[in-house]
This record gives sequence, C-alpha cells and structure tokens, in this order.
Amino acid sequence: MSGKTISYEELIPGYEFTPVTYELSTSFVSKYLQAVDSEGDGFVPPLAITACSIAAMTGSFSMPSDTIAIHASQELEFFKLVPIGVTIECHTRVAQKIARGKMSMLILELEVFDKDKEKVQSGRATIALPT
Amino acid sequence: MLIEIQEGKALDSVVRHITQEKINLYAEASGDFNPIHIDESFAAKTPLGGTIAHGMLNLAYVSEMMASAFGRSWLSEGKLRAKFKEPARLGDTLTINGKIDCVEQKDDVSYANCSFECRNQKGEMIVTGETIVKFSSDRK
Repeated sequence: MSGKTISYEELIPGYEFTPVTYELSTSFVSKYLQAVDSEGDGFVPPLAITACSIAAMTGSFSMPSDTIAIHASQELEFFKLVPIGVTIECHTRVAQKIARGKMSMLILELEVFDKDKEKVQSGRATIALPT
Repeated sequence: MLIEIQEGKALDSVVRHITQEKINLYAEASGDFNPIHIDESFAAKTPLGGTIAHGMLNLAYVSEMMASAFGRSWLSEGKLRAKFKEPARLGDTLTINGKIDCVEQKDDVSYANCSFECRNQKGEMIVTGETIVKFSSDRK
C-alpha cells in the first residue's frame, strides 16, 4: 500500500485518496477465505476486494484522537468475476462529510478497476465517528 | 448447490461464531488493524467495552450465503445494501438468514430481490439489508 496520510479534519467532499493497488494473490485469497470461514470457488470473493478498498481508505487518513470509527452502512455492486492473481486499483473519494450533534458521518465512494481499467466493483461506505 | 429461484424461497442460513482469533485473522487478511477490533485493552476502555468484529467480516458471511445460493451470478453481478445495527462481539454466534422477496424480469434478464438479516444468539439485529442478483431466465 502507498499514499500519504491526511487528517480527518482535512477531508472535504470531493477529496480523492491516492489510488492504491493490490495483487489478489493466491496467498491473499487463502488467508481471506480462512478468516471468513469459507471454502471459496476459484475466484476472488467480492468482499475480499471490498476489504482491500476499505483498508486502503482507512490507512489513508488519521482519526481524531480518542475517536473510534464505526462502519454504519455499506452499498456494493459487483461487475465481473475476478480471477485469483489479478492486480486491482482501488479509488476512493469523499462524497459527504456530515456533522450532527456529537456524531460525524463520513460517506465515501469506492471504485475498483482491474489492470484493463475495467470496473470490477463500486460502492459507498458510511463511517460514523462519535465525538 | 444453487437454489431454485422462486419468490418467498428461503436461502440456506449461515451460522458463524465470533472469536478473537477469527477477528485477528480477518485483520491480517484485510489489513484493517483498527484497535477496536484487535486491542482488547484499548477496546475495553471505549463505550463498546471490548473488541468487536469488523463490519466487513459480518458482511462476508452474508456474501457466503448469497454465493451458496446464486453462485457466479452473485460474484459477478450482485448488488448489496447493508446497515450495521449493532456490533458483533466476542463469543457471539451470528445467524444469517435471507429470502427471495421477489423476482423481476426486465427485457431478457431476471433479477432476484432478496432481504437478509444477521442476528446474534440473543436475537439482536447485527446487520440488515437487501441484495439484488441478476441471472439468466433459464436459471430457475
């Protein structure tokens, strides 16, 4: 994983995180399948790809101190089967940032592409931060 | 084995027990090392009172149920919308249930609209949501 880390306060709607690439290797997929108690079916589980996107995003910004991030909701759409061994590129942008009383909500849009620049997956994650 | 696609049809349930070992394995695999999941002393001092499973781990169990029912149709053309209602805690046993609410046909393509729930052993709702799976009309 690469890319700079910025603070939560600096995130504004429209901000795009530096795209992050992952190789969905056999060892990565085996580890993921073991973690989720699944036997798999010869392709990369779509939620393993989402996990990469989420990790890329959460590793790219620092949280306010003493704050925990809670995954509040998730939307996903899958566009193609992804063979093991493929390299993907995860793109994330801030769609909205909302402050409501003692709760902040960060809404992020995710898009994942394969090496041919074909879209593999897209989604939207809402992260709640009680302050 | 793939299911027969029919309105009202229940999907085969998935049951999983949450342990710290599984959460740690998921953290390793996903690269999400948020201390609320893996640092028991940190998590104990938060309002949550202890470590919790990653929301995406709970959702992976939903995806497992969908993949068992719909196979490659789910993996290649599935859609999902989920709300995380409560955290899954250590020792929880999660049961994921789902059913086909309706089947729609647009042009030559059919869509199975499903709903799902993930509850713990106390019956508390952990995750709820809907999925849509596109499939060819000859897959019934």
